[in-house]
Amino acid sequence: MNNTIITMIISILRLAVPVIITSMGTMFSVRAGVMNLGADGMMISGAFCAVLGSYITGNPWIGILFGILGGMAIGAIHSLVCVEFGGVQNISGLGLNMLATGLTCFFCRSLYSSSISPAVAAIQYSRFLERIPGIGYILVQFSPIFYITILLFLICCFFVDKTVTGLRMNAVGFNPQMVETAGVNVWKLKHISVLICGSLAGLSGAYLSIGQLNTFMEGMTMGRGMLAVIAVQMGNQQPRRILLIALIFGFFDALQLQLQINNVGIAPELIQTIPYIAGIAALALSTTKAAAARKMQPYLKNKYKF
Amino acid sequence: MDIAVQMSGITMKFPGITANDNVDFEVRRGEVHALVGENGAGKTTLMNILYGLYIPVAGQIKIGGKEQRFQSAIDAIRAGIGMVHQHFMLIPSLSIADNIVLGEEPRQGIVYRRDHAAEKINELCAEYDMKLDPKALVAQVSLGTQQRVEIMKALYRQAEIIILDEPTSVLTPQEIDELGAMLRKLKSMGKTIIIITHKLKEVIDFSDRVTVLRHGKIVSTVKTGETSADEVTNMMVGRSVQLGGHKTDITLGKAVLCVNNVSYHDGRIEKLKDISLTVYAGEILGIAGIDNSGQKELTEIIAGIRKLDQGEITLDGKSIKSVSVSDIKEKGVGFIPQDRQESGLALGMSVKENLMMGYQRKPLYRYKKIFLSKAGMTKEAQEKIENFDIRPDSPDVLARTLSGGNQQKVVVAREISNASRLIVADQPSRGIDIGAIELIHQKLVDARNSGMAVLLISLELDEVMLLSDRIAVIHDGRLMDILDAKEATREQIGLLMAGAKTKGGGGCEKQTK
Amino acid sequence: MKSKQNREPLNWAKYFSPVFIILITLLFTSILIFATGDHPLTAYKFMIVGAFGNSAALISTINKAVPISLAGFAVALSSKAGIFNIGIEGQLIFGAIGSTIAGLFIVGLPAYIHLPVCLVTGMLFGALYALLPAALYVKKGVNLLVIHIMMNSIAGLLLTYVVMGPLMGDNKYVSATNIVQDTAKLPYLITTPNKMTIGVLISIFVACILWFYIHKTVSGYMLRACGDNSIAARFSGIKVKYYQTGALLASGALAGLAGSVEVLGTFQRLYDNFSPGYGFDGIPIAMLASGNPFGILMGAFLFGALRVGSINMQAKAGISSEIVSVIQGVLITLIASQYIIRFASSRIFNRRKKEAQE
Repeated sequence: MNNTIITMIISILRLAVPVIITSMGTMFSVRAGVMNLGADGMMISGAFCAVLGSYITGNPWIGILFGILGGMAIGAIHSLVCVEFGGVQNISGLGLNMLATGLTCFFCRSLYSSSISPAVAAIQYSRFLERIPGIGYILVQFSPIFYITILLFLICCFFVDKTVTGLRMNAVGFNPQMVETAGVNVWKLKHISVLICGSLAGLSGAYLSIGQLNTFMEGMTMGRGMLAVIAVQMGNQQPRRILLIALIFGFFDALQLQLQINNVGIAPELIQTIPYIAGIAALALSTTKAAAARKMQPYLKNKYKF
Repeated sequence: MDIAVQMSGITMKFPGITANDNVDFEVRRGEVHALVGENGAGKTTLMNILYGLYIPVAGQIKIGGKEQRFQSAIDAIRAGIGMVHQHFMLIPSLSIADNIVLGEEPRQGIVYRRDHAAEKINELCAEYDMKLDPKALVAQVSLGTQQRVEIMKALYRQAEIIILDEPTSVLTPQEIDELGAMLRKLKSMGKTIIIITHKLKEVIDFSDRVTVLRHGKIVSTVKTGETSADEVTNMMVGRSVQLGGHKTDITLGKAVLCVNNVSYHDGRIEKLKDISLTVYAGEILGIAGIDNSGQKELTEIIAGIRKLDQGEITLDGKSIKSVSVSDIKEKGVGFIPQDRQESGLALGMSVKENLMMGYQRKPLYRYKKIFLSKAGMTKEAQEKIENFDIRPDSPDVLARTLSGGNQQKVVVAREISNASRLIVADQPSRGIDIGAIELIHQKLVDARNSGMAVLLISLELDEVMLLSDRIAVIHDGRLMDILDAKEATREQIGLLMAGAKTKGGGGCEKQTK
Repeated sequence: MKSKQNREPLNWAKYFSPVFIILITLLFTSILIFATGDHPLTAYKFMIVGAFGNSAALISTINKAVPISLAGFAVALSSKAGIFNIGIEGQLIFGAIGSTIAGLFIVGLPAYIHLPVCLVTGMLFGALYALLPAALYVKKGVNLLVIHIMMNSIAGLLLTYVVMGPLMGDNKYVSATNIVQDTAKLPYLITTPNKMTIGVLISIFVACILWFYIHKTVSGYMLRACGDNSIAARFSGIKVKYYQTGALLASGALAGLAGSVEVLGTFQRLYDNFSPGYGFDGIPIAMLASGNPFGILMGAFLFGALRVGSINMQAKAGISSEIVSVIQGVLITLIASQYIIRFASSRIFNRRKKEAQE
């Protein structure tokens, strides 16, 4: 009895990690007024680059670094298009998804002649925790990235509530003009937010490839980037709410896996729709008043105005 | 004599317009200096340049004798300049403290010391005799308080020169007095203050000197004590202006609009409390009152956009309280909304398309019922453009490219031309140049002369007194009294606007006229 | 999707933008191909040959362009009403399911009735799938983007379920339903050198109707007013909520039509994952064409050429057809940056004009 619950919890936490990391990143971007539909692109880029880094150096931690940079690169393009050049955020995001998907597949096939990369050094388990008495055997089953995620969440909460930059990033999403007249560089803030978003999404992708598995597969993000966007919007860009929603998504993810394993007789696809249906129901039934909307439009520098 | 600000030869151009043309502007330390001009004269542009938001094409700025080149607002702030914009630069969902300190937050490394911020604000409030609660959310406080937050932003940054852009447009009379006291206090502490305004009362009450701008050029600078309101107006406008139209003597017709005991809530706030009034054919009923007293809600209820909670509204005797907006239009009601850009125009569409918005079902615009008749649209548009002097005179340009005054003329042209019984005009002359105001006044009066009923809302008491046959005063959602325009005095109206002695208005049954 | 500029840039600049976008895309892709040791020009040659080389190829391209153009129309229609409909992919899939059901199970009707019935069923299913999000958005102000993203995911899962489950075909090795009845299949316009159904005619027909509706009718005018300024439209008496709901439903219907045409025309059965993202192709095409239906036809042709040409490129030059995703990705990202491209080109052309005048 106990064992199934523990297994379930481990499953939920494991499955929730990618959405949590990506949604923390997307949270920064959206708080600063830049929608990020390109989260999947940033993640797949991170996943591939992580495998590349681990393949080249044999060191998974270098892989993680590469993964972060890979996500950041896509984030940088998004930032250039949306923040600097006043482009259409949603279209840029969708385009980058396609671009990143295409590039990663292209390079994967070119380098490895297959849609799956060879196995690389990964960090799926935290061996150094094995020695902890009592719960060591549980703790070891999580990748170190899981623990980094917990730390990350705490840092994000701190950053958002208690730091100067956190305050400014929040303000810029509501009224960039106000922040500009206060003498703060609006564009620098937005650029940094989107780059953080890209980096975290890259980290999330790295987890997918060398934290959960030890290889890269085409399409391995499985729409988790979009789930992160959903979590951010439903959670009103507040870190604690987002975490809760991400965990709920993780719960449904674990549930459908379990149901498939137990062969409950319902088609797996239908079970997989449960989190989405639950999400729609939650939005439909929610009675909370809409929070103040952020300004998701481009904020042009004077030099780019007609 | 210490010169705090000296702007020389400032020229600023935007596509198609020279907003400031070789402007020389000088402000002495410790004075309150009013910068006036009618809408579009270039006042705000000049001050935006001073505050570093725009970089001028030509000219130089000296602050305290030292030449400065401002690349952005930070530079201006560092030079000791603070600006309170007409539309507040605040974030409603953040606290007063957060709003004030943003950009120069008290910090310990990367940590934001909110507690220090609150302390500092309390200190400053004590020093300048202001009352602000650092922890309150901006969304929860009054406009007057919000303005104080804006001023505190400048003081927090040790501004020595404070620019106020149209500071009284959103304040109640009390709040205006409080502002006056605040300005005197600041002046006594050595601050230099520049007020941008087009309201002569403020100029006379608050300022030491006045500079007049017209069409982007300086007209002159005079001592307030040595000039008069009329003289300043003359300088602002440069020609004799006939506001108020030509009224003819006509006999009042029947009651067209009857508002009986109307009450209305917006969310939790009671916006209209038991309002009753009547507008007769052939008269202009003006409603005087400070901003946000319920006028917007009243006009929108009459037009059918909002639905009243209690009471009755009739048009020519028939109830319209549950009638749709388009049906009310069909009954002959024209509505000029308060905010032309937000609720009156589709800026991305052409002038001719805007001129038929709301009336597109009229046969002249249609061809075989479902198609648009381009010929009909163009012909009608050209008529209206000519009639109302809309410039440029092409029906195909985008509404966005028109100036404020011309945009308003489009809305006015559309509504007045199509109305047959009643025109509801909510602040028709807000934010537009004097030429446009002149024309709009004339058209409203023409409508009245031809037997239509006109309901006019305005925040400018002069305008209400000039145009109306009768004047109703609204205060805090309540109709205080209705006076005959020929006999009413400013003092009377002012008292009613501030909330003194209620007599209530009259619905159709009560009116004995 | 509207140009938010005061001054329309010089006419030159308008044409500069798409040309510039295509050139940069080609440049980037060339570098990529070069980096992996292939010759970009050969690759492009095969791609062009694959897309337009002979009439068979051209027909292939047109076939591919059909569902993309219909998806583009769907996006354009809702955009004119001021709503960004990202749910077209899901509506497309659901519409395809609907028309397949009608094609498989409604028996006894002659072709000239059965086919329209199938198409209409597809459109109804598409509109139906847009109904819940539309209702939630218009009535409760729910975040439409989020709901549509979820609906898209659900549709994909639903498709797999339906094709592997209740509607599974007799051939167990293929993830598809049975072939629909002959009366439901889209008739062919041409059969040699390649098959082209009347899908192309449907596409052109819809383009014309859409254009007429938006620009020439009173109702279309009211729709555009809602899209430009919904508050002003409401104040003028236009029933904005009806128009927004209607636009979303019609948009869903067009998306459903796209799915139906693909199912009844190209495959004549419903495959799992039959849509390589037609819905998402529609979005940048609609934007590039500024919502103009005829521009959308051209854009769809371009995207169709990309997809078809890449197959030949893969076969002959050995370059992975994934490069198409790269090309599309770059294209779309550049399309998103249209504002700055127009701005920069307007500056350049204005300066040239000034210099010419001096």
